[in-house]
Amino acid sequence: MSAPRLQFADVRRHFGRLSVLQGVSGTVDPGEMMLVTGPNGSGKSTLLRCLAGLLATDGGTIAYQENGTPLDAAERRRRVGVVAPDLAFYAELTVEENLAFFAKLRRVSPARGLDVLGRLALPLDRLAGNLSSGMRQRLRWGFALLHSARLLLLDEPFQNFDAAGERIARELLDEHLAAGGLAVVANPSSLDFQHVATHLDLGR
Amino acid sequence: MFVKEWRCEYRTRYALNTLALFAFTTLVVVSFSLGPLGVDRSHGTAVLPVLLWIILLFSVAAGLPRTFVQEEETQTAMALRLSATPSALFCGKLLYNLTLVFALEVLVTPFYLMMTSLEVASPWLFAAVLAAGGYGLAAGSTLVAAIIAQARSKGTLFSVLSFPILLPLLVLAVELTRGATAGDPGGVAVPVLLLYDATITVAGLMLFPAVWNP
Repeated sequence: MSAPRLQFADVRRHFGRLSVLQGVSGTVDPGEMMLVTGPNGSGKSTLLRCLAGLLATDGGTIAYQENGTPLDAAERRRRVGVVAPDLAFYAELTVEENLAFFAKLRRVSPARGLDVLGRLALPLDRLAGNLSSGMRQRLRWGFALLHSARLLLLDEPFQNFDAAGERIARELLDEHLAAGGLAVVANPSSLDFQHVATHLDLGR
Repeated sequence: MFVKEWRCEYRTRYALNTLALFAFTTLVVVSFSLGPLGVDRSHGTAVLPVLLWIILLFSVAAGLPRTFVQEEETQTAMALRLSATPSALFCGKLLYNLTLVFALEVLVTPFYLMMTSLEVASPWLFAAVLAAGGYGLAAGSTLVAAIIAQARSKGTLFSVLSFPILLPLLVLAVELTRGATAGDPGGVAVPVLLLYDATITVAGLMLFPAVWNP
């Protein structure tokens, strides 16, 4: 079985006249993490959205393969695990109902997501609309790890976490990398990580 | 998707309330305008089917365009794009909208017939037209709702796009409803209406991935 690998080269994206990404390249191998830093508006979230297949690029290539099979944007979108500040859930449903709904759409058991939320100590019977910002971030982690994604794309992954939440999330990320998973983490400032293989600074 | 939609609707009752209130208001306005005795039979057959479909169209237009717009506004669209295949999403939304339209028809039509004293000579044709016309309304509105979801002027765009898509459906549905009230057989218009429904469904399934995904 061939190991997953993410490779992107000369990725470009602009919004109208504003050029956000101007030829960004990088490679992430199994067990490795790429840290993307840069000030606000430097294109960190845009890059992650392009990698996730949520945003089309204007140029360049993004190649991601699992089990030796290259995945196109549509397949990549459904395989990756995403944590992002603008990822929201149904306010009228409870945490458990939200997770069960997305698990059903992905055709996986909600057990993995529920396990993650158990570790993050998130009450399952609370309506998503009544969660605090830190609790919503915990739910995003549960959503990202629900389907045991090999590639995690984490945009400001510890935003709004308290100390305990951040510690558990870091443990989850370490376990993911130790199991041969890949991760791309975007944050305005450099984070203290053990597994950073590549540092991409979009501020330069 | 369908179960989730109804669970959320049951807890907020946004679309149900909008559709029911709009339908009730227009029903009352029409019945007051036509008077307690309704219109005479010759005028009724010509005018009342048109009014029925206008009530249904405007009630649908008040509630159904929110289908995808709400997902964008509440930012749940990203989680959906990451989890669902476009075809599953479109079918789930269509099924939900279809049940809303059928519920609306079940609610509105008996009251409308009662308040306007409209007699239906061919009840089976009448029911078939309501079913096929309701499906067309739901499918057309779902498709347009998906197209406008990421646009800026959503309301205006819904009206502009709905006009060419729903106009043939409404013309056919009105003609067939007239035929059902007068006791005329549907003739070729029934297969044409079914063909319209099939075309809109296939077009929706083919177009939806392109309008929903980047």
